Amino acid sequence: MTRPALAGIVLVVGLLLLADLLVVNDTLGDVASVVVAGVVLVAAGAALAAAAALAIRRGADLWRRRGDPVGAALVLLGMGAVLVAGLRPGATGAGDPAVGWLVAALLVPLGATVFGLLFVSTLAAMWRSLDRRPPQAVLTGLAAAAVVVLLLPIGGAPGAWLASAAGWTLAVPIGAALRGLLIGVAILAAVAAARTLFGIGGDDA
Amino acid sequence: MRDRLVRRLLPAGVLLLVAVAWLVPEVPALDLDTAETGAVDAWEATLDGLPSTPLVLVAFDPDVGTYAEIRPTVRAALAELLARDARLAFFSLTPEGRALALAEMDRLREGQANPRRWADLGFAPGAEAAIVELSRSVPVADDVGGEIARRFGDGGADAIDALVVIGGNEIGPRSWVEQLLPRVEATPALAVAPTVLLPELLPYAESGQLDALLATPGDGAAYRSSVSVGRLDRFLDASPPRALPVLVGLVLALGVVGVALVRSVSADRGNGGSGAQRAREAEA
Repeated sequence: MTRPALAGIVLVVGLLLLADLLVVNDTLGDVASVVVAGVVLVAAGAALAAAAALAIRRGADLWRRRGDPVGAALVLLGMGAVLVAGLRPGATGAGDPAVGWLVAALLVPLGATVFGLLFVSTLAAMWRSLDRRPPQAVLTGLAAAAVVVLLLPIGGAPGAWLASAAGWTLAVPIGAALRGLLIGVAILAAVAAARTLFGIGGDDA
Repeated sequence: MRDRLVRRLLPAGVLLLVAVAWLVPEVPALDLDTAETGAVDAWEATLDGLPSTPLVLVAFDPDVGTYAEIRPTVRAALAELLARDARLAFFSLTPEGRALALAEMDRLREGQANPRRWADLGFAPGAEAAIVELSRSVPVADDVGGEIARRFGDGGADAIDALVVIGGNEIGPRSWVEQLLPRVEATPALAVAPTVLLPELLPYAESGQLDALLATPGDGAAYRSSVSVGRLDRFLDASPPRALPVLVGLVLALGVVGVALVRSVSADRGNGGSGAQRAREAEA
């Protein structure tokens, strides 16, 4: 599909949904509903395709013994276990107790453990960064140490003071920096969208 | 050789220390409930303002990585909503959220929560588009009956008395605030989210688009210590986070960062070179 055609579709769909949000009109609502349903179907198809692509890629890794065959085998084993649990004869799909057990007893603890290991790996990364002694790493280390002190779970008046200071830190300096970043990202997204809609730039030729 | 062995054993030692701290009885001087943001007051005030037997859409999309942080608060919130005689309708937009919602609904079922007070609206792909679709037509399955199905059948998305978003990394309260709230009649929105989403969500909470937000371990602990669920305490989390392991973890982190900082600064002084210069040399 050419860029002008794509930009045209984006423009029409975007204006249609915007008009539907602002104007109460049954016909407009029906058309917008069809468009939204189409987007939902495309998203469902894309999700299925992504899962299939992951399985094929890991299968190929395993077959050709490239990359991480053990990891590939585990991914396929996990996908297979959930599929068998949910699709075996008599199963009730995602709500089947066997699927629920796999999620509650395996998936959730494993996911939380991997996320929890970030504690160790983040500390290791900080150690390595400070070992090289760039000023940015020193500044990040000092800020991290200050935030950790503010988050100490101490009761009573000292704890209340720390919590108050943590709240101020989050609301003022950290909040200002993050909101500035978010506003900048929003402006960039709007500019990029406008450039796409009007077909400005982006040609490699 | 010795240094390498220490480095290899250090992560395991850190985890072991935190695990041991978990087993030690609670220390009175420590308290996770140090929040003073008023988040709990806002939460309770919002629920107090709902009509009797409110129909609450529970948008359940946490992710498995951060769910451990918010799970005790989520379970307390669900118990409180049931204790307040709310009608809960669970809906998910992510496969992870759906899996976790099914696990929580199983827990309600096993705890013999009244099945007429909660219903499973299922899962829809499409993220924001699915929220827009839900605002037009609430997907109530044929096997969902009773009051919840009737109220959605009569009023569609406008029948929702309150929106409770259980957020995660992929889909969170921001999407619901932006896509659902402008399309339905005035509906209070409450959210439970992991700390990592806090910077993104604070502007929504401070501007009033989110009526209440519980998004830090402190807020969660404050909420859990104040919430009243009556006889439904069987739905509360059996092992909520404790202050001592958190303190041990934070002190360890502080120690590692502090030692690394001291080493960095003292090495700079000893070598007489600037950190930036050494960094450039290291990169070269």
